[in-house]
Amino acid sequence: MPIEEDPEGYEIAALDGLVSFASRRVLEIGCGDGRMTRRYARSARSVIAIDPDGEAIAELARELPTVDARAIAVDELLLPAQSVDLVLFAWSL
Amino acid sequence: MVDALRRAHEIVTPGGLVVDLHPTTAVASVEVGAHSTGRVDGGDAPLRHAAAGAALATVLDAGLFAVDRAVEFTFYTYGDTIEELRDYIEENWRNSRIDETVVRRTRDALRDAPGTRPRVREQVRITKLHPIALADG
Repeated sequence: MPIEEDPEGYEIAALDGLVSFASRRVLEIGCGDGRMTRRYARSARSVIAIDPDGEAIAELARELPTVDARAIAVDELLLPAQSVDLVLFAWSL
Repeated sequence: MVDALRRAHEIVTPGGLVVDLHPTTAVASVEVGAHSTGRVDGGDAPLRHAAAGAALATVLDAGLFAVDRAVEFTFYTYGDTIEELRDYIEENWRNSRIDETVVRRTRDALRDAPGTRPRVREQVRITKLHPIALADG
């Protein structure tokens, strides 16, 4: 078995206890390879996921083609004001 | 960090949410079962995690957000062997390592707990923030 992160699901359980992703336009900052993204993407209305790591973003884009995955840093992000419902900083501050 | 939070304030709708997850300043530890066998040498990780907390405090003080709720949870990373965990931490965590003393201690603990996978324990805080509209002018 390879390295396993949070197999107990404590992270998504804690997150689900605080927010609902259902029908929300989500921006995830620092998504990495989409470890967290894949846990909520299906319920969100739309997902933009950004990370400066191009390889990780390519992996995420292959696995979740409906996610708008961008290999950029937050200061390169071009989005209109008030255009998403939920901004998620995923271990990225 | 503060700039990223300010950017989030611009992008999110007035009724929207900003959610931050980052490890607390508690040092990550190596465990076999519920027993700690030592700490992960995280280099400047506690300082970086403290800086994330300070960035949140800055935007709260600036009146950009209000905290709705905050919770903590435990995040475990498992390996089949302590060597696998050690290599993973070194390759994937910034400036972090599990030193040989902890590796040896973990190996010994695993010998006494057959079938147990070694793990690294981190404490993570989630903060849910509501944006506050800025006054015009």
